[in-house]
Amino acid sequence: MVFGRSKSSSSTTPSSASAPSKAAAACSELRAAYHECFNRWYADKFAKGQWQSDECADHWHKYRACLEEHLEDKHLRQILLDAETSAFYARPEADPPSEQGATK
Amino acid sequence: MVVYTQEHVYRHPWDRVTAAAWRKFTDPASRTALSHVADVHTLHRSLDSDTGRLHAARSITVRSLPLPFILRRLLPAAAASPNGAALCHCVETSLVDAPRRAMDVVVRNVSLRGLIEVEERASYRPHPDRPDDWTQFRQETTIRCRPLAALAAVAEKVENRCAERFLQNSAKGRDVVERICRYLEAEAAGAAPSAI
Repeated sequence: MVFGRSKSSSSTTPSSASAPSKAAAACSELRAAYHECFNRWYADKFAKGQWQSDECADHWHKYRACLEEHLEDKHLRQILLDAETSAFYARPEADPPSEQGATK
Repeated sequence: MVVYTQEHVYRHPWDRVTAAAWRKFTDPASRTALSHVADVHTLHRSLDSDTGRLHAARSITVRSLPLPFILRRLLPAAAASPNGAALCHCVETSLVDAPRRAMDVVVRNVSLRGLIEVEERASYRPHPDRPDDWTQFRQETTIRCRPLAALAAVAEKVENRCAERFLQNSAKGRDVVERICRYLEAEAAGAAPSAI
């Protein structure tokens, strides 16, 4: 599900230097819905041992699709599109390198 | 190169402290305390439901302290902002291992890497003395300037400027996590207002 990168209107707002990014403005509601879901799921389920189901996947997919459309910074886009190959994606190792990591 | 190590004991259980840590940048009530944070987005997440491991990457866009004049000339983003502060992107990657009760977080700057590299590694573990009640937090911040010969003197200033900012913000971040812990504690006890 890769959209063509829409580089449509970069010169519309001259005073965007101190404003939050376009992505923030466009995706704020989807982000808020995802955060609300995630915070609840993490605190009530995941951290207490019920990690079998990812209850916020739907919220995440919607939010991510919005970012894919609106996120402008090229480094951040790279992480969004393929985190594992990005040089900026540090993999914290909770234990010595043995496992190959998480499923998609 | 500058390295800072910090430790802190949260007198709250691991699940509560890590829940609070996730909320640190996104909690509306933290906006004023962490006013240098301009924007946060989740860029990647994956849950391994067999092993109970959660991976996530978030972008954190930070306003720097006002930069020295020379640097402003070099950085278009800073030149454009009224007080000479730059917007820097950082990426935070987190790994939470639920069965082992381990959370590890690495933050790295994405912007300005030709000039400076900042890496902050933090861990949250149950405190060895009271594993069910307290949480041990450890953090190591490494700041390294790229030795561009012509810019060495300026680079040193930036290093110090960044170090100041990171130390200020680490302390603030701890306060915010403490406050969110208290909120979650109250909420769990059924006493919190239903906001957030």
